[in-house]
Amino acid sequence: MKREIERQAFHVLAGIVALAVLLYLGKGMLAGMMFFVVLIGLLLINLNFTGKKLGLVAWFLERFERTNVPFVGWGSACYATGVLIAAVFLPSADQVAAAIIILALGDAASTLVGMRGKIKLPYNKKKTLEGSAAFFIASLTGYLFAGPMILPVALAGALMESLDLPFDDNITVAVAITTAFLVI
Amino acid sequence: MDPITEFAFNINNELLAQASLLLNNNLVFTVLVIAIVLFAERRDSKRIKIFSALLIAFVFSIVLKSAFAVERPCAQLGLDYCPGDYSFPSMHATIAFTLMVAFLNKRSFWVFMLFALFVSFSRLVIAAHSFADIAAALPVALVSYYMIDVLWRRYFNEKGN
Repeated sequence: MKREIERQAFHVLAGIVALAVLLYLGKGMLAGMMFFVVLIGLLLINLNFTGKKLGLVAWFLERFERTNVPFVGWGSACYATGVLIAAVFLPSADQVAAAIIILALGDAASTLVGMRGKIKLPYNKKKTLEGSAAFFIASLTGYLFAGPMILPVALAGALMESLDLPFDDNITVAVAITTAFLVI
Repeated sequence: MDPITEFAFNINNELLAQASLLLNNNLVFTVLVIAIVLFAERRDSKRIKIFSALLIAFVFSIVLKSAFAVERPCAQLGLDYCPGDYSFPSMHATIAFTLMVAFLNKRSFWVFMLFALFVSFSRLVIAAHSFADIAAALPVALVSYYMIDVLWRRYFNEKGN
């Protein structure tokens, strides 16, 4: 529980940093930064695979990574990839900002509220209605940047997050909200 | 043109330009990628997995290129070698990054990363792409390989990567 709270706090903090880069340096700079963050992340994951452990990175992953992931660094790589997807495929900085908020706050809220939730979703017994509602409500903060368009986008994100898919939700939610923004 | 694309395009190096133009040839690039997969991976099942991921990446790239319909920088400059299709995301970079991800758990990963970065840079050198096209290629490659990896684990009960 404590570990999950720490993980989600880091999730939100990373989102704030990404948002700050976007607002102060622009969409192009965020896309470039996330591109290199993902590449460096992959290199670190490879070092871990081949048995070379870097002290600070190992500490970080041990503290903030979930235990049920395919390999160490997986969650962080998926989160960075999710932000990269929004940064490169969405045309406006406001949409990217809203997407970052959804990825950071939506996921954190759904995890923290969902853990205490009681009503199981009929199509996914691993998730709760309270968790999905928390995702949707927290995602509405993106209204500050995207305006009323946030409603269907947040709904698409909450729906995708509630599904029992074999893919990491940082990526599926990023694809869902990016597609929703582009289609709407 | 963004600063990174402009920097790469303004590099005046004949050898780099020739190598970039050689990689620009789809037949040369395809043969090179197939040769790398066959040389670097000995297991037939993993080879099929990599080729499947490359195929998915190829399809994703075509769909996204048509959906976004972004004109290539070289088309705007009127360069004669410029490919006729759209720019975003870079197909060459998507394929090279997919190949890179396929070897994520190997000691040779850094070689594939260098190859992917060189292929990506070569696209900027001849202005076939802008940096945004290269940056978009990375998540497309990751998602493509990830999809195949999940399907492989689910239906062939194999270990990841």
